[in-house]
Amino acid sequence: MKLALKLLAAFTVALTLGAGSALLYVRAGGLGGDIAAGPWKTNTLIGSTGADPYTRARVAVAGLLALNRDEAVYFTASQDDAGDTLRAGCTYKIMGSDPPARWWSITLYGADNYLVANRQDRYSYGGDTVAREADGGFVIAVGPAETEGNWIPSGGQTNDTFSLTLRLYNPEERVARDPTGISLPHIAKEACSS
Amino acid sequence: MKTWSIWIAATLTLAAVFHILTIFGLPYAIMDRAMAGIASSAGGVNAPAYPERASAASRGIVRPSPDLLYTACVYDVSEQPVRLTSPVPDTYWSLSVFASNTDNFFVVNDRQVKSDRIEIVLAPEGSPAANGDVPVIIAPTTRGIVLFRSLITSEDSRAGIDAMRRQAHCEPL
Repeated sequence: MKLALKLLAAFTVALTLGAGSALLYVRAGGLGGDIAAGPWKTNTLIGSTGADPYTRARVAVAGLLALNRDEAVYFTASQDDAGDTLRAGCTYKIMGSDPPARWWSITLYGADNYLVANRQDRYSYGGDTVAREADGGFVIAVGPAETEGNWIPSGGQTNDTFSLTLRLYNPEERVARDPTGISLPHIAKEACSS
Repeated sequence: MKTWSIWIAATLTLAAVFHILTIFGLPYAIMDRAMAGIASSAGGVNAPAYPERASAASRGIVRPSPDLLYTACVYDVSEQPVRLTSPVPDTYWSLSVFASNTDNFFVVNDRQVKSDRIEIVLAPEGSPAANGDVPVIIAPTTRGIVLFRSLITSEDSRAGIDAMRRQAHCEPL
């Protein structure tokens, strides 16, 4: 009886440690990867038949049905330029110019990896829909309160975290070869609700 | 003391086994759940589902793109090959196929298709490379997901793109 209890305890601890550490690692990593370009992170093995088991697990949890890098490259940001976690109660400005791809979009997701509810039903901007600056670049505001121009609602005055995915469809060959060598949008924090 | 060391070592070894099993098993488990959802919407495997444009209410697949309209099928080539057909627009469109471990083993886009319509056959390993003039794609797993993506270039074009993506089909050969 005593041995059975010990075995049960060891099994429970091992299951908690083993499965728990795997889930924590996969969920914390999100769809990002080890390749960083400013606040944006990517993994060139996303969707690849050569992906390692950890990449496959992260894709399953945070980016199921992601395309391989020949067709699309996905960058994910969960922090701003300064390295602070993106939070719904703060306002940010995403500033940049067209990335080297046929088509691109920036989409906001909640911590659960789904689109964040808002009255405008607005979740993203793409190369076809974003309003341009005089120089052809773009500025997209992200935050809880509506602003003039491009604006993606962050969902409300909360401390909830969110992330942004920058999709590059049919990227130029140099993107997949060296994702750190291209210019990607800046994410600058403007203010946070107290 | 020695006994405790053995217990701790055994527990940690078992924890490592659970860790590896979780990492290897997650993709299959999550794909299984996604396939069940798509098959339920489509009325079975080897049949298309036409989900509404992604919104905050969408809970089927994580991180959907609201800028695309999707057509999805669960393929099952265990009994016969599956024919995939779709009109091909002159704006961004792609047909991609995913194995049951999440690998995107095949993708083709509108610029790579030299016609306004595509027809391909998805077949199990050991099948011939072509079925007449129709290219055959070998699926590394007997089940998986086919996803057609169609870019919504503007709100004005949305209805036309929606009508087009509803002509995409998956059916047993």
